[in-house]
Amino acid sequence: MSEALRDKAAIVGIGTSKFGRHLPESQLALAAQAFKAALADAGLERGDIDGLSIHIGWPLGVDYDQVAQAFGLEIDFVNQAWTHGRFVTGSLQTAAMAVACGMARVVACVNVLSFTRERDILGGPHDFEGYRETGGTHAETPHYGLTAPAGGAALAMQRYMALYGATGAELAAVPVALRAHARLNPKAVMRKPMSVADHQASRMVVDPLRLFDCCIVSDGAAVVLVTAAERARDLGQRPVYIAGMQGMAAGRNEFIFAPPGLGINQQSGPRPASAAARDLAVYRSAGIPREAIQGLYTYDAFSPLVLFVLERFGFCAPGEAAAFVQEGRIGPGGALPVNTSGGLLSEAHVAGWNSLCEMVRQLRGEAGTRQIADARALQWATAWGDSVILRN
Amino acid sequence: MGAYEKPTPRINPDNARFWESAHEGVLRLPRCGDCAAWHWPPGPICPACFSERIGWEEAQGHGTVSTWTVVHQDWFPAFKADIPYTVAQIELAEGVRLTADIVECPADKLRVGLPVEIVFDRVTETLTLPRFRPRRG
Ligand SMILES: [Zn+2]
Repeated sequence: MSEALRDKAAIVGIGTSKFGRHLPESQLALAAQAFKAALADAGLERGDIDGLSIHIGWPLGVDYDQVAQAFGLEIDFVNQAWTHGRFVTGSLQTAAMAVACGMARVVACVNVLSFTRERDILGGPHDFEGYRETGGTHAETPHYGLTAPAGGAALAMQRYMALYGATGAELAAVPVALRAHARLNPKAVMRKPMSVADHQASRMVVDPLRLFDCCIVSDGAAVVLVTAAERARDLGQRPVYIAGMQGMAAGRNEFIFAPPGLGINQQSGPRPASAAARDLAVYRSAGIPREAIQGLYTYDAFSPLVLFVLERFGFCAPGEAAAFVQEGRIGPGGALPVNTSGGLLSEAHVAGWNSLCEMVRQLRGEAGTRQIADARALQWATAWGDSVILRN
Repeated sequence: MGAYEKPTPRINPDNARFWESAHEGVLRLPRCGDCAAWHWPPGPICPACFSERIGWEEAQGHGTVSTWTVVHQDWFPAFKADIPYTVAQIELAEGVRLTADIVECPADKLRVGLPVEIVFDRVTETLTLPRFRPRRG
């Protein structure tokens, strides 16, 4: 990744629907709530939106043509990804590239998931992607009863525990920290206090993952508006700049829920002793070193993914993340707060867009009791190696 | 014996030989006719050297558990009676890893590195599932 796109695009509006479980509204209705809120936040009209970047389409979410039709938009640029959380970063990056190169003026990243209505789409008998002839993308093998993304995260964590001696009780520090963040967020779906003992008492789902290691099944929408930096400065909000970006890794040494070298699926070779150069491109792209990152935001569908992203980006060495997350280090007021609105584990599963909205709030200084003091640079990064650094 | 209600694998031109072989009670894996590398999952081209000369050769049928999980959640109604059951990734002697279930193994014996061997379970008139059990002898 070059520096060509450094600070060329900015987030100028964010909006969310209500978050909850078994919400009566349709996906389109939740998207409309978030879309209107984002326009109001940015001081834009719907006629200003000429691009759509959709992360998760129908049936879990909504497709671009449904959005354009239902909201009466006239759209000249469209991107829509696959029904998987992994495409959150790419959907935002595509919006940034589109406005930076002039293919669109304002791109709306419209994201909605109604998990409680479409429970079977991931993991159940209707999870058709799990039947892929070369194996499901999270190692699903329905004929052996392994299904759902959680199965892939469990396979990776089990091997990680065997290699490094990490324990389920250490892993508990992740959901416990995110719950502590969520307790400061009135919008979070899960706000009941959680202790390590509560985690250890929660039922086993796919060993070693317990119920509290798995994201909540919720409904909600989030919209992020992206425009070119020069235009952003003329709008009502303090712009949040997309300072640097790096793309997703793929290849025989990658498994979506494991760091390279862990030995899942066809990953071969040893784990590198430190973060790979390709995984540090985002810091060069942004001109912001890792040491300047004040908060990390990630796709925390399962608690091991937080350990893996910390190691992948070099916040700690391979095998050290389970120790790194202890003693509140990633919780409120910790040295490296992670997902300060509660993430997918406790706020809501809006495919990470809830956390991207939180990053914008933090960088505007609007995060209330969750505010990271003098927040200037925050990083979005995932266990599969893509990233965006935002700054104010 | 009632109808088989569990999901069955989708078979296409790239993986058909694997399932046909399993139904004959033989583990065959794709192997490159040029560089001799085994690969998995089956594909039309050798991922190592890019050759299209892919053959199918009999594999030894044993390896070690590289990772595993015990499923406690009833995602599929047809598996509900089997809970808890074990699914693992097995690193075969040929170097590739298969995902399959583990049978004849108490949960407290499961570990990374456990030596296992293949068994063939004919589940329908047309489908045989390879499974793995702790290696004997
Ligand atoms: Zn070859």
